[in-house]
Amino acid sequence: MTERGREELRPYLRDEPPPDDATIVIRGGPDTLAKLTMHARRTHDAYVLDGESLWGISVYCALDDVGPASLDGLLRRFASYRAVHLPRTDQLRRAGYLLLPSFGRPHFTIRLDGDDPAGLTRLLDALGPAEANKYHRRERPGRR
Amino acid sequence: MIRVDITCDLMDEDETGHVWAFLRDARDQALVQPGAIVVAGDEDAPAVAEVVDIVDKPAGQVVHLRILPGQLEDYQAVIQRAVIPA
Repeated sequence: MTERGREELRPYLRDEPPPDDATIVIRGGPDTLAKLTMHARRTHDAYVLDGESLWGISVYCALDDVGPASLDGLLRRFASYRAVHLPRTDQLRRAGYLLLPSFGRPHFTIRLDGDDPAGLTRLLDALGPAEANKYHRRERPGRR
Repeated sequence: MIRVDITCDLMDEDETGHVWAFLRDARDQALVQPGAIVVAGDEDAPAVAEVVDIVDKPAGQVVHLRILPGQLEDYQAVIQRAVIPA
């Protein structure tokens, strides 16, 4: 813990090579500036990184071809989201964002410089449009 | 219209492997007790969740949530099937 009451994230970072540029990133959506601001501030209120303030957004990377860390596995896991953003890691890197491999694989935290609207708008652009999550179905057998 | 019991980002997990939220973001904190079934997330992405525990952290009380399978509508449907009006 830090003296400011926020937890240090460093011990929770995984030691693993960064995902390659073509890796698909899953972010539950549809995101808005207001939501990103709220989530970034929540991370800020809870964590620091190397003693410095940290703003961040949680995402998951499709690191495997099959299983729980695959794109299919993650879309199924996050079926509560009717829409998802699916940028590639290089889209985020080209926009200047660092992906921190935090907590359990394949969770990552996108590190942000702050919570200013201009920066978060840039992140929103980098995430790209929200797409329908095929596992979020309004009609299912047994819903009568 | 959806109203969640506790607002959180369903993608926020921590070292426990569970989704975490600040208790202060609960609509009614009395509803959020270990073992309680709540609706978590936000109006666009609500999920039924079990409250695993509530831990004290210097940043505030943190709620750990186990997201249950299925979607909110699934639970509504099963209740409609199971409950017979008197």
